[in-house]
Amino acid sequence: MKKETIGVKGGFHLLDTYPLPFCTIIDEISSDGSPGQFQFPVTSQKVEHVIVNLCPTEPWALPNWVILKHKTATFLNMLKEIRTGYFSDAQFHLAINEKEDKAVEDAMNFAGTEDWIHVFPLCAKYPQDDPVILVQVLLGMDVNFGQDIKSLGILIVDAQTVLAMYEQGIMRKDVNSRYVVLSGTGLRENEIIRVELGTSVEKILKNKIKATGACRVFMNGPLRGNEISDLSQKIDWSVNNIVVLEEKNRKTLFPMFKADELAFTTSLLGELRRCVYCNFCDDICPVALEPALYYHSYIRGEKHKARLYHMEKCIECGLCSFICPSKLELLKMIRACKAPDKHA
Amino acid sequence: MKKFLKPLEPLLDKGLNTAESFIHTHPKVNFFFGAVFEAFDGLIRNPKETAQSPPFIRHNYDVKRFMGAVLVALVCGWVLPAIYLYGWQCVVPKLIVSFIAGVFIADFLWVIIAREEHIAEGGFVTCLFIPAILPPQAPLWLIGLGAALAIIFRNILGGIGNNIVNPALFSRLFLTICFPAFLVTGYQMPLIGTQVIHTVPQGLDAVTHATPFTAFKTSGEVASYLSLLLGTTTGSLGETCRLALILAGLWLMKVKVANWRVPASYLGSVFVFSVFFSLILGKAVAPPFFQLLSGGLILGAFFMATDPITTTYNQTAKWIFGAGCGFITVLIRDFTTLPEGVMYAILLMNLLAIPIQSLMVKIRYRL
Repeated sequence: MKKETIGVKGGFHLLDTYPLPFCTIIDEISSDGSPGQFQFPVTSQKVEHVIVNLCPTEPWALPNWVILKHKTATFLNMLKEIRTGYFSDAQFHLAINEKEDKAVEDAMNFAGTEDWIHVFPLCAKYPQDDPVILVQVLLGMDVNFGQDIKSLGILIVDAQTVLAMYEQGIMRKDVNSRYVVLSGTGLRENEIIRVELGTSVEKILKNKIKATGACRVFMNGPLRGNEISDLSQKIDWSVNNIVVLEEKNRKTLFPMFKADELAFTTSLLGELRRCVYCNFCDDICPVALEPALYYHSYIRGEKHKARLYHMEKCIECGLCSFICPSKLELLKMIRACKAPDKHA
Repeated sequence: MKKFLKPLEPLLDKGLNTAESFIHTHPKVNFFFGAVFEAFDGLIRNPKETAQSPPFIRHNYDVKRFMGAVLVALVCGWVLPAIYLYGWQCVVPKLIVSFIAGVFIADFLWVIIAREEHIAEGGFVTCLFIPAILPPQAPLWLIGLGAALAIIFRNILGGIGNNIVNPALFSRLFLTICFPAFLVTGYQMPLIGTQVIHTVPQGLDAVTHATPFTAFKTSGEVASYLSLLLGTTTGSLGETCRLALILAGLWLMKVKVANWRVPASYLGSVFVFSVFFSLILGKAVAPPFFQLLSGGLILGAFFMATDPITTTYNQTAKWIFGAGCGFITVLIRDFTTLPEGVMYAILLMNLLAIPIQSLMVKIRYRL
């Protein structure tokens, strides 16, 4: 099987930049009310391809060892049973982080005897696990950001969902809790917990947030996720992780000697400047766009012009804003340009 | 360093906060010193702004580090070799005058008068170029005038990010037109003993030699490549030690501050076109390797042409930009009476960068 990466350039090694150590002991937290239930992913459309994403590219996402427990073969046998039970005609595509040698080797050995499973060792550069890029790299199909890929007969599941599908669909057990990763500079320690669906964020974070300084809470990571201000929000199956970041809303002296203290906080880490055409944004763009063009169209008030520059290909991974040395809000501008004009 | 600063930190932080609130509550003080304070504060403190829209974490690479890398590369590329070759008496006063005239007078006054742009570290980069592209024996007032002109010119166009041509080169063009006598003389032979400090302000005409290119144009004499590489021939203050410039330029490309496409296509096209003209015209034009190693080409290709603001944004268009620079440089060197063409080539291509960019955008997105 050939090795695939996002193309020649683009993407960013978040896993290397923000290494987050996790405690291997997993706490359990129960909800006060009756817990929610896992919904088995069923579609009216016939599923032709199932993509199993074992290649988390964000350090705050659930690592593979929690589910796989270093026994890839067991996991693959579960997949086989799910296939025979529910998706008997579907082809399975396994995306695995190429650095996890053991898992890749086990999967390769397994795939050697089965013709329905294809293994793709991938470079774990963010955003390699984005649905658009996964479909493009694994199936060679072009889909747009925001398109309903289920209607194309493609189902993308992560390791935890596979486990839940197995327990509910094959073992006939109730699945009412999931693993959630808690990490960030605002917490006392990074940990993985098992929570019942329907638990509030407030209860999960109780006694875990550092006492000093202000914090902000993000669901599903600071890059692709959302900020949550209402902590009474309940956990559902779509919540993979909760990141709590320190809010560095005061001036810090000598930032050049405090790179580790300022990293992984909400600080912009620099002044807002004008675009200097440094080409960082188009070097890092995983879908080979030129975000600075959108910036220049946007500040001139020509949103319609920005849409001409292949804006529909943008997968909103946020890397352009992340890398911009002038600290421009490129993702915000792109979203504003994508939104239809009010008067049109 | 960290340990040494630790006890000072709370004191300094408190002092700066007090100063900041004082300035903000007194409009008159703010009018004159607000920008100066902000510039100083920005150098030693991280701004308090936090990410309000996704992504909520940002990389710690900012424009300050970007410009800082250029400064480091320039110091290693020309300041240190020039101090060795011409003596500190020649280099250090020029730098001081350039910084004072450019950053501390022109930029500060502009900020007070125009009230539109904060003082930024970009001025230091421009002012560090000015002595490098003038002769070693240029009088100090010429350096000061050049630096002030460069900064004013850049600010008139709207500051860093809006300038369409390289301000340092534009300033040199202005000086070439207004004071041609000072730009063709004052090329001192390096390593012939250092200047006496009191002669520094005027510069000395007695020690003037022809630059390698002028020598070639008058007598057909080709300087040795090794001396050109090591900087033991005449030339502008910062362009002679090509070896250091190449190494510093390669480092800049490695840290992705300079885009490798521009020097590659610039040097490549100079080589190709000079080979082409040499094959047709023989000894009448300068040989290819001599062209690559003489004049301001290395300094221009690695540091001036790569200025991200004045090149094209599109990466493919950068190849065209560099190739155009190379072509114009060879044309001016081989077929005009001008001794050097790098400045004109880069300035011309800076102006052409905008149409090239819009053309490439049209081709790429099929508009």
